[in-house]
Amino acid sequence: MSSRELDSYRPGEVAQLADVLERVLDKGIVIAGDIKINLLDIELLTVKIRLLIASADKAREMGIDWWQNDPFLHGGNGQGELEERLRRLEEKAGLPTTSDEEE
Amino acid sequence: MAAMPVPESDAGWYLYGVVAAGAAPPDTAAVDPRHAVVALAEERVAGLASRVSLAEFDEATLPERLADAAWLEEKIRAHEQVLEAALAAAAVVPCRFCTVYRDEHELRRFLADRADVLELTLERLEGRVELGVKAFAPGAAPSEAAEAESGRAYLETRRREKQAREELSRSRAAIAHDLHRRLLAAADGGVLLDLQSRELSGRTADMVFNGSYLVADRARFEQAVADAAPDGLELELTGPWPPYNFVPEELGRP
Repeated sequence: MSSRELDSYRPGEVAQLADVLERVLDKGIVIAGDIKINLLDIELLTVKIRLLIASADKAREMGIDWWQNDPFLHGGNGQGELEERLRRLEEKAGLPTTSDEEE
Repeated sequence: MAAMPVPESDAGWYLYGVVAAGAAPPDTAAVDPRHAVVALAEERVAGLASRVSLAEFDEATLPERLADAAWLEEKIRAHEQVLEAALAAAAVVPCRFCTVYRDEHELRRFLADRADVLELTLERLEGRVELGVKAFAPGAAPSEAAEAESGRAYLETRRREKQAREELSRSRAAIAHDLHRRLLAAADGGVLLDLQSRELSGRTADMVFNGSYLVADRARFEQAVADAAPDGLELELTGPWPPYNFVPEELGRP
């Protein structure tokens, strides 16, 4: 194997959230404070955020603060776009649009 | 500048990890950026800790906070950065995320009670870091069964594909086993972590290996990784990490 194939080794760079999570939450977790949190909750939670991570890293690459824009996190934010798409589709199909009904 | 009075609600202490007494606390932002990370010495060890609001970090509110991905990422990053900065200076015993004490007394009692095992652990970890090694293989080819011309051909294709998948997974298991064995020979310890899904790894290739190793001689370990790299697999090294996976469990027992 050439050294080039180790290019992905980037010490000092901000670690991938997934790699941090698997260590900080899933493993190596030994010292307990006197405030206890339910581990099961955390495990469920990691499953949930696993779904978010991929989009998070992609967004960050594009310089987007994903938590500001992710419709999954902010129910309201993505809604407008979906509604707009729905409205256009309905219009195209000659149906009364959702926004018409609201008025 | 006069120190700001500490609000009464900020009586909690967040513990990041433990270092040898006398080490300077890292100059990085705390999980609560209003407070600095300090080193609270007790006997020969010191806890790297910072004040937190119990309104934010108490048992009752934590589950809700933890469900907030933005909060969680910010705090996890702060936790990790404090430990990485500490690790750059000296050995550190990392704590789990959200190790919180209700007051300074409780935190100091933990340090005093466990001083011996903490000190031994620090000695064992001195000059060592955790390095992650992941291996990725190109994904399996899409099924051709749908293109079969007859029912029998369809079933035959499905059967062959299933067999190929089973062989592939057997050979991947053998490769992983061999890789782990060879990397262990260049490390002081190693563990296999769960394989990350594609969503998690952000890759189109399948993760077929995910190990983490306690390493004293990084050049030797990196050479071992290079030598052990199986054909057709892409390897990725991560770290150095605080040795999360190499802290004795007895530290957590009451």
